[in-house]
Amino acid sequence: MRGAGCGMSEFPDLCKVLELSTVILRSIIRDHHIRQAVMLKSVTANQQQYVGLQELSALARTLQPFIGPQKKYRFIQNVRSGESALTCSCFCAIQNLEPTCALGQLVCETLQEHEKIYHTGSGCLMFLAGAWSSAALLGLCQGISVTQIISIMNEGIEICLDAVRKSALLFNGLDVRLSRRSTAAVHGLELSLSEEAFCVASNLPFNFQAPPAKVYQQAQNIRGQRQIKLSRYFCENKSEMVSEFETCSFAHIAEGLSHSCDNLMKLAVEVMQVQSRSNQDITTVTFDISKVTTCVLFGLPEDCSCAVPGCIVLLSDEQVSVFHHLKTKRLKVALIDGDLSHSYHHMGFKRPAGMQHVRDQPSVSESSTEDKWVKKVVKLFLDLGVNLILLTGVACKPMDQNCCRNQILVVEKLNSSVLRTFAQSTGSALVTYPSQLRDHCVGTGVQLALWRDLSCYDRKLVPVNISTEENTGLVTAILTSSVQCKSQLQQDRFWACAYRLHHALKDRALLPGAGRTEMFCIHLLQKQAQNCREKSTNSVPPSAAGTAVALHTSVMLELMADGLMDYITTVMINSGKMSKVEARTIVTRQLQTFDVHQGNATKFPQLVLGNENEAFVFPSRKQTECAPAVEVYDNLCVKQEAWRRALDLVFLVLQTDEEVVSGLDQKMEKDTMML
Amino acid sequence: MSRVVKKTPSVCTDMPLNNAEVCAKLHLMKELLRSCYGPTGRLKHIRNNIGGRVTTSSSSSVLLPALSSSQPLLNLIKSSILNHISRFSDCGLFAAIFCLSLLEHVRQHELRENLAIKVNKHCLSLCTSYLQREDCACRVKVNFCSSQNLMTLAGSIISSKPACLLTEAEKHHISTMVVRAFLQTIPCSTPGPVTLGHTVTVTIVGLRVLDSAVFPGLLVEMYDPFDQTDSSSGPLRTVLFSTSLAGDLAELGDGTIEVDPDVDTDLQVLNQLLELGKQLVEDEVRLCVCQKVIHPVLQQYLRSHGVVVLERLGMALMEPLSMLAGTQPVATLHARILSTAYGRVKNLSTKQFGFKTMLHLQPEGEAAVCTMVLCHRNETMLDELKVVCQKAEHGLRLTLKEPSALLGGGCTETHLSAYVKHKGQQEASESAAGLGCSPAEFLLGVKVFCRSLDMVARSLEHDGGTSVIDLNHAHHWTVSAGATKEDMVGGLGLCGCGLVENSPSTKWTFLNTEYAEFCPAPLLGDSCRKPTVLDSFTAKVNALQVAVETANLVLDVRYIIEDVN
Repeated sequence: MRGAGCGMSEFPDLCKVLELSTVILRSIIRDHHIRQAVMLKSVTANQQQYVGLQELSALARTLQPFIGPQKKYRFIQNVRSGESALTCSCFCAIQNLEPTCALGQLVCETLQEHEKIYHTGSGCLMFLAGAWSSAALLGLCQGISVTQIISIMNEGIEICLDAVRKSALLFNGLDVRLSRRSTAAVHGLELSLSEEAFCVASNLPFNFQAPPAKVYQQAQNIRGQRQIKLSRYFCENKSEMVSEFETCSFAHIAEGLSHSCDNLMKLAVEVMQVQSRSNQDITTVTFDISKVTTCVLFGLPEDCSCAVPGCIVLLSDEQVSVFHHLKTKRLKVALIDGDLSHSYHHMGFKRPAGMQHVRDQPSVSESSTEDKWVKKVVKLFLDLGVNLILLTGVACKPMDQNCCRNQILVVEKLNSSVLRTFAQSTGSALVTYPSQLRDHCVGTGVQLALWRDLSCYDRKLVPVNISTEENTGLVTAILTSSVQCKSQLQQDRFWACAYRLHHALKDRALLPGAGRTEMFCIHLLQKQAQNCREKSTNSVPPSAAGTAVALHTSVMLELMADGLMDYITTVMINSGKMSKVEARTIVTRQLQTFDVHQGNATKFPQLVLGNENEAFVFPSRKQTECAPAVEVYDNLCVKQEAWRRALDLVFLVLQTDEEVVSGLDQKMEKDTMML
Repeated sequence: MSRVVKKTPSVCTDMPLNNAEVCAKLHLMKELLRSCYGPTGRLKHIRNNIGGRVTTSSSSSVLLPALSSSQPLLNLIKSSILNHISRFSDCGLFAAIFCLSLLEHVRQHELRENLAIKVNKHCLSLCTSYLQREDCACRVKVNFCSSQNLMTLAGSIISSKPACLLTEAEKHHISTMVVRAFLQTIPCSTPGPVTLGHTVTVTIVGLRVLDSAVFPGLLVEMYDPFDQTDSSSGPLRTVLFSTSLAGDLAELGDGTIEVDPDVDTDLQVLNQLLELGKQLVEDEVRLCVCQKVIHPVLQQYLRSHGVVVLERLGMALMEPLSMLAGTQPVATLHARILSTAYGRVKNLSTKQFGFKTMLHLQPEGEAAVCTMVLCHRNETMLDELKVVCQKAEHGLRLTLKEPSALLGGGCTETHLSAYVKHKGQQEASESAAGLGCSPAEFLLGVKVFCRSLDMVARSLEHDGGTSVIDLNHAHHWTVSAGATKEDMVGGLGLCGCGLVENSPSTKWTFLNTEYAEFCPAPLLGDSCRKPTVLDSFTAKVNALQVAVETANLVLDVRYIIEDVN
């Protein structure tokens, strides 16, 4: 085998790259000397170094602290502008770094695409992209060709994704199969099953008044099926007890998905419950995220966070007086998708360039066209009897003042999905211009209410709830924080929790978390690698090409498994309770003792737990059933997508050998060739 | 008073091909494009130094426009290849690599330029006449009775771009789709001259490749899917506007207009628009489509009268839609719409793809318009997939003109090269006399041509393997880097195009070495093997011509005169 045994030492550039990525982390924006020429930044001269892969793994390594439930906060400082941001997510970090190199931009695009859909899991994506690019790099080092690496790694990811599918805990029709406990039942621990279920139910931090005895009874009843039915379908018999059990089980899922963001997950569950309470259709519990808004209140302690039905907005001083005038009335509402100003035009409207206003007589009237327009619009509002205007854009100053004077409340910068919900529930229609408003566009039945009197905290805080008589499913999550710079973080984490719940309900499936799925994948990859190795030694007749392929396959699959192993161990290390060696030892021992014939990912013990009290399952007490550990779950589709996307990114970088850059300054760059 | 600026004299470069810097740039460009060639080719990141999107591709139609050079010769080559791509879509890299290798080999072998030009022309005519011959051994007839050759052709083009990152199953799915789309654009029952229909490509990021599909009719993205009716059936009277209905004044050009401040021009245009809307409602139009933006007030008016409104259609969909509905696009809002301008759509329905809501318009009669919805996991790969699918569809269309395909995988190149070498050797003295040179010089010229062809075949290998040909049919085979002598005897499997099988009696020679000329034998008809890789015949023949003619043009350049002011 060519080049076997060459290590990282052969990559002198790696140190440089590492240095480089730290420079990127400091987000120093270079001056751009723009020149209209095209240049080839060619790496043909040093083709063996695969700078792209090295950069990718180096970048991923700098973002390691953001992996896992115990994240470390980081400051990102922009030297030029002096601005800084506090972050604990990969996506935020990359966005704030504003990468200028091709690889950085590619990473940024990939994360953006992922984040746009899933809002969670970008850390996992980034880490695995780094880990697998190191794997590809080591493969190249051992003389495995790019084409082979791609096909083998594709095979590897297929094994992993298949394993992920197999380990998924489905709750089709809303019954959650808690496999670990149900196997306990199989092994003759029937009693502990129900006790455990009871434990979980009563230890929950949520306030569900499930009478323990009833839960116990329920668990006993369905034990015959060897699974705990946690179904809304049980509601068919309208038993109160069952529905409570169901809520409990849902809390169990939520707790498993919280990933040590307990308080914000609790808030997300509350939001969901508030929403589903209004939703009478119990056969389909969904979490409609588009109807959720957040409202941040500063100066209140964090435990004041809560979920409120309706849409809560903060009003300014001028608006407050209008609000007091309106609060007891049934209001007529107009919904405007756009700005409320004279100069506003819809998207795609082109202002004529060569238009001049010429007057043959000096102007007599003082009022400008804007004033006239404002008067006209306000008159229209008054004629239609509108008291409340909800906008997606902003209103111009004179409009605002005029409306206030006429006791019309204007609420700006609302989400357009919120506006659509109001349109549906009040029977009104969204319009772009106020001149479009007619009687049928105006909705009725909207109420304003002061949500809570917070004048004791801050006189400026006047949170007002806009709601309709009919329940719309609109929910506002009130996020309170006494530290202003944490608000963005809190919002990010809240949304991550909410989306995790949303995806779980959408997938109707969960993955065993805390490293269990990964361990199962590692196990399968290693098994496959082992098979290949055996095939290569036993092949009759020995053909050199066949042997080489089998050997390469086993090497690459091992390397891929190592990437996943790195991921779990990093999560364990990030929890701050063990060293790399310890973490690796635990994982290796688990993998060795795993019985192949016994099953799937759920058979592994949880490695990392978010909770402080129950941190790690050490091999010595892995079978002890005494500790009612919280089961940790991951999202199915998020994990699948993140892995797939990570590998796609690696493939794109792996196959790229050159970069074509335009607009470069010839003098600035050294390793480049001009065309 | 104008300042007199002294003009710098023009720069004249004598014999640009003897200039080391020019040669280095030509070489760089050749290596760059060579590394992209074929299904295992390498990708290139294309980006601007100031930021913006990074494109990753190995396709000539993406790569070449991004390469702008200060060297006029390079730009000349680039623009002639781009011209070829615009007409045939496929074989751009082939043409570029062949052209650049010809130039390089001519220089390496110190051939006189004017002689090289003559011999190149001669060899080209040998190639083209051979390819047109009935007994040409590297050409395959495309049989429209079965989809097999079409599938292979489409599949070969699709797998030639590794940036799509498709698995075998996905490749098969996409090739099937492309062939299906191609077949749907051929009208069946139209009497008289046949016009081919359109395939419109819609891309959706984030879905699986296997979710891609072909639909008859048109799928148009709806930007505001909330206010629309779900589906309407029965023929719908349709109007299509190519002018903006946004309520802005028509383009004024460079001139200015003077208006009284009391005149509200916006309102007047809006009134005009509403007037138009009234006519549409009177004429019982049920579907109103506009290439550009429609004023919200007009939209509201039309919707309140039960008209389905579609705006921001975009230029690309105008022709397919007017073909589908049989409408004449209306270009003004100041005249009454003639009843002949209206068209009809059979029915409307909405379809949901990921986050996009699409309105599906179906033609009333047989309008050969179909929509190909392409899905992929990320944007980079999807962009490449789109390029490749359009290329494959164009390749299939070219078979209608000339129902043939060429063997792929480098086999056509090596076969042609062996043929030209053999033919040249045979007719050396007559041809040399005809071209006015010595037979030795002529043979050197032929060698240069054949080496360049071989070079293109060798460019298919990127993982350190070597290229060999068999001394019987002159097909192209690759030997992987780690293979031993024994492997070569027993384990080479099939040739590049998949038509010839390895047998113990086969003799081999490395492609980069000298070998004695031989006449490549045609394959006997007894083989039941079908080629697994095919190239578009029309595109490749044209690429061959473009490459040789461009190379000849560059060889003919004596001076470059540049105005540096």
